[in-house]
Amino acid sequence: MEIKVLGTGCSKCKTTYNNVIEALKETGLKANVVKIEDIEEMMKYNVLTTPVLMIDDEVKVKGRIADIKEIKEFLTA
Amino acid sequence: MVTQTLVKEICPTTTQGRVRDGALVVDVREKDEVAQFAYDVPNIINIPLSEFEDRFTEIPSDKEVIMVCKSGGRSLRAAGFLVNHGYPNVVNMQHGIIRWIQKNFPTIGDTSSILSISTNESCCVTNTSTTPESDSNNDSNSNSCC
Repeated sequence: MEIKVLGTGCSKCKTTYNNVIEALKETGLKANVVKIEDIEEMMKYNVLTTPVLMIDDEVKVKGRIADIKEIKEFLTA
Repeated sequence: MVTQTLVKEICPTTTQGRVRDGALVVDVREKDEVAQFAYDVPNIINIPLSEFEDRFTEIPSDKEVIMVCKSGGRSLRAAGFLVNHGYPNVVNMQHGIIRWIQKNFPTIGDTSSILSISTNESCCVTNTSTTPESDSNNDSNSNSCC
């Protein structure tokens, strides 16, 4: 599983990234977590509002912080 | 400093010239921000970034389009979005309305909040920092805008 957190390095993006790490820890699942902060890389994904949470290249949450509970639901769905 | 090659970027001074030549300015700041103070140019529309995905087709694709915001970060993303959607003539204005106001270019509304944090940076000379946008940390801190 690959999880991407797209954001510009703002606090919301950092919180989303930390929530992903915590959700993985709580579920015991393993995933490759990638933080994408490069603006050009982000533009390839046509991202307008950040942070964005992508799981296996599918946008799950955009424009807001993904909380631990919902990330766990995505991970175990 | 934001490094990217997808979108061409221009400074506020160049923007002034392009506007005179008929370019369309698209301000992607949110409505409450625009209500506070705004660019005073003839061809301008406001499509907040939060509505941009649903409304970007309001922007004509046969005109030169200059994307603007508060300090150049959000507008850069929106410009990239338009380029990715096939808009052939889109540029981003670096440094946003902060620099626009510092350059004494025409605005509407109370710009005192910007002027009070102004550091008198020039558009076309070396500087070390720009005022960060409150909701975005990806704004350009380029040393030159031209």
